[in-house]
Amino acid sequence: MSVEKVQWFDSFTRTVLIVGLALLLGIFGSAYYMNIHKMAAGGTDDKVNDLAAQSVHVQHHPLVELPGDAAISAFSVANFCAGLIIGHNWRKLFDPGKIEETKG
Amino acid sequence: MRGDFKLIPEKKLAAFYSILFVLLAVAPAAYAMHIEDGILEPKWWIAWYIAAALFIYPGLREVKRRVQENLSYKPFLAMVGVAVFVISAMHLPVPVTGSCSHPCGTPLAAIVVGPFATVVISVIALFFQAIFFAHGGITTIGANTFSMGICGAFIGYFSWKLLRSLRSPLWLAAGAAGFLGDLVTYLAAAFQLALNVPGGHLSFFQQWMVFFLGYGPTQLPLAILEAIFTAAVLQVMVKRRPDLIPGFSQSGKTVSQISKNI
Repeated sequence: MSVEKVQWFDSFTRTVLIVGLALLLGIFGSAYYMNIHKMAAGGTDDKVNDLAAQSVHVQHHPLVELPGDAAISAFSVANFCAGLIIGHNWRKLFDPGKIEETKG
Repeated sequence: MRGDFKLIPEKKLAAFYSILFVLLAVAPAAYAMHIEDGILEPKWWIAWYIAAALFIYPGLREVKRRVQENLSYKPFLAMVGVAVFVISAMHLPVPVTGSCSHPCGTPLAAIVVGPFATVVISVIALFFQAIFFAHGGITTIGANTFSMGICGAFIGYFSWKLLRSLRSPLWLAAGAAGFLGDLVTYLAAAFQLALNVPGGHLSFFQQWMVFFLGYGPTQLPLAILEAIFTAAVLQVMVKRRPDLIPGFSQSGKTVSQISKNI
């Protein structure tokens, strides 16, 4: 009687999780440091845009306003779709199993 | 005994965690990025549109040619295009300066899909960022394409080609491409802003450096991150599908033989 082991993570999932956790820890660590040092943590592009606008005495403005959680929802929807497209094509093109299938 | 345990479908898990990772990594961004509408004078944003258009046309031709040459190019281009969209919207905090900025992704794109095709995918990415995320602007798409999609992509591509021709290892050539492409993108954006400012008490060069110093300290750590990312992703791509990467489709050699040489 052979007992089959439940495999929770394949190598692809493991790699994605490790990279994701490393990046997230970096983001959380940076955010924590900036928070305790009372840093604004604003966007560099935004700051330079402000500086450039002041230099020519104009106001810069985005095409659409995304107040509050609207920005998070816009990013979530767009990146949900982006994640699907990247994941789908990555597996189709770079997954070792699929490459073998193509060759075979 | 098969049937006593239900195996977790690996592909579903992988897809789920990939999506989760992308969502978590990108969702917190809330600040404007790239050059916004209202800053550049009409004469400048029109000039940058024209300059970008000069690269978009050959870009479209490059895409058409390579799609006919390789059937895998179209899904590859779609994947890289979406990756540029996501990477260039990824606002990462940099604690040394207390602010956030984003990598570009265009140096990697230029190496794998070609520099002219990268201009095309940059325009599309910047357009969607402008209309849905309030990042950049519509009048400034030409200027933002020029800095990120042309300067960043071409500098990254040429440094990659140069270092590879000098037989440098893949990680070094790809890393240098990512690093230089990232910094040159911001050097170009600072140049565009400096051109827009009428002559005052600062010379043009001083004005340029003032804007670049606004970007530089935050961008430097991100350029290092982009170098690592570019090298790592390219290493995996070349190991698995050398036929997709220009310069690696060596006939008569197996994938493992090519991997040993990189």
